Amino acid sequence: MRRAAISVTMLCMASVATVGHAASPATSYTADPSASRLDFIGIQAGAEFKGSFHRFTAAIDFAPDALASSHFDVQIDLNSLDTMDNDRDTTMRGPDIFDIAHFSASRYVTRSFTKTPTGYSAAGTLTLHGVTKDVPIDFVFVSTPGGAKLEGTAKLNRLEFGVGQGDWKSTEQVKDLVKVAFSLMLKPRSLSE
Amino acid sequence: MPTQESRTRFTAMAQLLHWLIAALIVTQFALGWTAVDLPLGTHKLALFARHKSFGMTVLMLTIVRVVWRWANPPPELPAGMTPLERTLARATHLAFYALLFAMPITGWLMSSAKKYSVSWFGLFTWPDLIAQNKTAFEALKTTHDYLSDVLLVIAVLHILAALKHHFLNKDDVFLRMLPFTKSKRGP
Repeated sequence: MRRAAISVTMLCMASVATVGHAASPATSYTADPSASRLDFIGIQAGAEFKGSFHRFTAAIDFAPDALASSHFDVQIDLNSLDTMDNDRDTTMRGPDIFDIAHFSASRYVTRSFTKTPTGYSAAGTLTLHGVTKDVPIDFVFVSTPGGAKLEGTAKLNRLEFGVGQGDWKSTEQVKDLVKVAFSLMLKPRSLSE
Repeated sequence: MPTQESRTRFTAMAQLLHWLIAALIVTQFALGWTAVDLPLGTHKLALFARHKSFGMTVLMLTIVRVVWRWANPPPELPAGMTPLERTLARATHLAFYALLFAMPITGWLMSSAKKYSVSWFGLFTWPDLIAQNKTAFEALKTTHDYLSDVLLVIAVLHILAALKHHFLNKDDVFLRMLPFTKSKRGP
């Protein structure tokens, strides 16, 4: 009797595992703000400078074996810009760069995912300064005991988004290419919401 | 190098370094004074980028200069100078060398503290010396400004002294640093 019960239990576990694997939807995560970073690196007067956005939300649906149903939706509060210098932050919030009075939010939404030799690549669109353009991202996804870690990079040309008006359209002092780097500590959304 | 020549005149290398650094310092004052009052914009960034590149050039040339001076001691001061004049001359030159190091280094520290890293003509970036720190930046800026005033005073003294040696004492102190001339005026 007891042996039969164990067998049934094992069978159930096996079938759950099998079914779970076959139809596993992407897991829904949210980024833990205190443990996550969203940075950009620009080139100013020949030297790199780094900035961070301290406030953003990330709704991440992802599973390595369910790329078709995976989806990222990241919303960034541009006002939370921090380049470690008040003068530069104020200038960047101003009308000639981010123009935060008119465009305080930025959003990144994925369209599709592909596996790459080192991780994953996502096709998606970035809305910044009122302009929406395709920006691919490359990332690695690692499961952790409490959820997952998502780390990746992107490159964009600021002028395609109109970030830099007037004198700032010149790429002599501030280069057009801006690198983006992110590191998100993800926790399952059901636990936090 | 003929030893006779290097005892009465500065070497060609010492002359080159002297005049190159002098020209850079004049440029540095022009760039610094112009840029400091501009609002943060591309023009200010451009001027300060040049100011920083020239400043780091001064630092590197000064290191070369000190090594060169150590290996090729300068000619003796004229015999007619009083002990006080000798002390003044040595003190002025020592202050000059100290400032040639202190100005670029305080500038480099300022850029580090404000997170505006120093590029050398866009070719490479010097590492930040200290972490971002607003208080340190303000203190360093005050120091850099103050030292630039001291440098200006020392430079004026230096030029006046050179002219005094040339026109009043009629010795070769000025000529021996001047390229394409011959020091024939005796000691």
